Amino acid sequence: MSNNHFTIALAGNANVGKSVIFNQLTGLHQHIGNWPGKTVEKAEGTLHFKGYTIDVIDLPGIYSLSTFSIEELVSRDYIATEKPDLVINVVDASLLERNLFFTLQLLELETPMIVALNQIDMAKKKGIIVDREKAEKILGVPVIPTVAVSGKGIYRMLETAIEVIEKERKMEPLKPRYGKEIEERIEDLIILLSKIQLKYPARWVAIKLLEEDGEVEKEVLRVSPEIVAFAEKFRGELEEIHGHSCPTVVTSERYHVVSRISGEIQEITEPLKIPLREKLHTVTTHRVLGYPIMLAAVLTVFIAIFTFGDFTSALLGDFFFGLKPIFDTVLGTGIIGELIWGGFMEGIIGGITVALPYILPFYLILYLFEDSGYLSRVAFLMDNLMHKMGLHGKAFIPVMLSFGCNVPGCLGCRIMETARERLLTAFVVTLVPCAATSVIILGLVGTFVGIQWALTLYIINLAIIFVLGRIAFKALPGEPTELIMEMSDYRIPHMKTVAKQTWFRLQEFIMMAFPLIIAGSFVIKIAEVANLLDPIANIFSPVTVAWLGLPAVTGIALIFGVLRKELTLIMLATLFGTTNFAQVMTPVQMVVFTLVVMLYIPCIATIGALVKEFGWKKAWLITVFEILLALLLGGIAFRLLTI
Amino acid sequence: MDLPLTELRNGETGVITSTDPCSEKEQRCRHRARKGWRKHFMVDRFTKRLSDLGLTPGTKVTVVKSAPFHGPLEVFVRGSRLAIGRGMASRILVNVER
Repeated sequence: MSNNHFTIALAGNANVGKSVIFNQLTGLHQHIGNWPGKTVEKAEGTLHFKGYTIDVIDLPGIYSLSTFSIEELVSRDYIATEKPDLVINVVDASLLERNLFFTLQLLELETPMIVALNQIDMAKKKGIIVDREKAEKILGVPVIPTVAVSGKGIYRMLETAIEVIEKERKMEPLKPRYGKEIEERIEDLIILLSKIQLKYPARWVAIKLLEEDGEVEKEVLRVSPEIVAFAEKFRGELEEIHGHSCPTVVTSERYHVVSRISGEIQEITEPLKIPLREKLHTVTTHRVLGYPIMLAAVLTVFIAIFTFGDFTSALLGDFFFGLKPIFDTVLGTGIIGELIWGGFMEGIIGGITVALPYILPFYLILYLFEDSGYLSRVAFLMDNLMHKMGLHGKAFIPVMLSFGCNVPGCLGCRIMETARERLLTAFVVTLVPCAATSVIILGLVGTFVGIQWALTLYIINLAIIFVLGRIAFKALPGEPTELIMEMSDYRIPHMKTVAKQTWFRLQEFIMMAFPLIIAGSFVIKIAEVANLLDPIANIFSPVTVAWLGLPAVTGIALIFGVLRKELTLIMLATLFGTTNFAQVMTPVQMVVFTLVVMLYIPCIATIGALVKEFGWKKAWLITVFEILLALLLGGIAFRLLTI
Repeated sequence: MDLPLTELRNGETGVITSTDPCSEKEQRCRHRARKGWRKHFMVDRFTKRLSDLGLTPGTKVTVVKSAPFHGPLEVFVRGSRLAIGRGMASRILVNVER
């Protein structure tokens, strides 16, 4: 790499304004993807500063560099093996103790770093004054005060970053010291470790061995099992001495160092009156008031999105279908024209009329909620209910998203910390009736059979979610997990960051769903043009007619439903030549049909999302399972209802 | 006296004495201890997570409230606010003066 091209990584806790700093640094020159092979977001960007080209990497927001979550692993592997030229540790000045704990771990990794003391304005409001110079002296690295939202201090931070990278500044980074018993054993381990080659600093490895870090242990075990045996012996001794498990002892001593440092560099005066954000917190997490507020918020969001969505969706649909005559004159109404319009264009139109009117506002509001801090309060309130389906509070967010569309729901499972939780949540998410499913429940059963039947179907669906969620929770191997999260202070969301997050999510949705919807439309259109639909429906008739008691043409509708579920209803109308379904189907048939549609398959875009997040095998397992489940329940319902 | 965190009243503060007791898997722990197996503590990833978030022995922790229907606990520790699932919280032992 040329000598004016650098890489800087941003690292820090969640909710410290890291992504705002990232946006301030890189503007629109950024790219959000995944870490190779991991479903952890990787945000990269470039910036030009004083003749330097700097690649900036925004590492995930984490609390520690252990192996609790995939995010932590990704971050520390990146820092230790890719060795960025500099790490900027973004620290929330109003939460020094928690934040410096992470800073200390970065220091232990012996990476070149500076500290951005962010949100100093907020800290001041909370009555916390931080002595920057003292902090710099103790930590041994530059400490720059910043206010990310207004861009204050960012320039200084960059200047300092360059100085450090160019080694124009002498630094003596702090080496955190532990108690005597631990230090002696660290020293012993370092001597042993100096004989082998490792990608991490020896002292860090020694500490991690005492912390019983699985990944590090595995790596050392490969080269020198005897070191691991020594570490185990040492851990046992330390446990004897301290009466706690060794990892706890190490963490606890690290925190001890942290609280000493933060005690030295900050001065706290309690503010006299309770600030608004505290009152807001109290009300929104109140054991009685919290729930109606949450319900009102969620309902408002849904009603607003669907009102806006229905309107714009219809408008966009009219506009695009208005283009058809022009299309016909250009391409003719022959087979080619029909294929292109029916396959390609209708696929695109279908995608756009979902993505723009529904998904866009959905993401926007989600990020507003997240950035303001409300989502964590919702997770707090809903934890108990989510436990009933084998999940915990945080999972409420993807589940809620799924009532709109299963795709963002599946992608939203990333907020869960462990792979097991992610899969469990995704499984539940694909069972949630999305907006398109609701259209069918209400439009078919609600209109022609009765609203009480529509409600019954919803209740059945929810019951299935609870039961299957619980079963999956019991069946899936691995540790069950519980809610542990920070509820950071309420704050006004940073609009630019929210807008950007929304934009990138929308892009992700389009990139994933559109090709699938278009390809699917093509295949079905070809089948239609080749007159294959009726034979296919006949092949399915043992299932549709004999087992489910439905008219044979519903087989075709169900095939179309794989693209988007609301197509089942549109296709039924086309196939029957009427929208008055009461004339062509019995109430029982409508109920059974809707029940099957509700569960039978995640739509093609959702399957795509599952593949992306969990791989082919798990995506197919879920899909096949749900098809069988829908058929089983549909057949049972048919028999029960016709007795 | 030592109590699980879940037994604290709203607004009450205690000092953590242990975050890794043998609770549910007590039997197995004891068995191991008898065999001279060194690991008589129950350390899992979540105990680690708790201590990473600052809930270490000797730390002061205040229970603000708990969500209804046996929901999670809202606690105040090291200047920040955490939500902890009830099962987890019941494994944290604190010393309170009453």
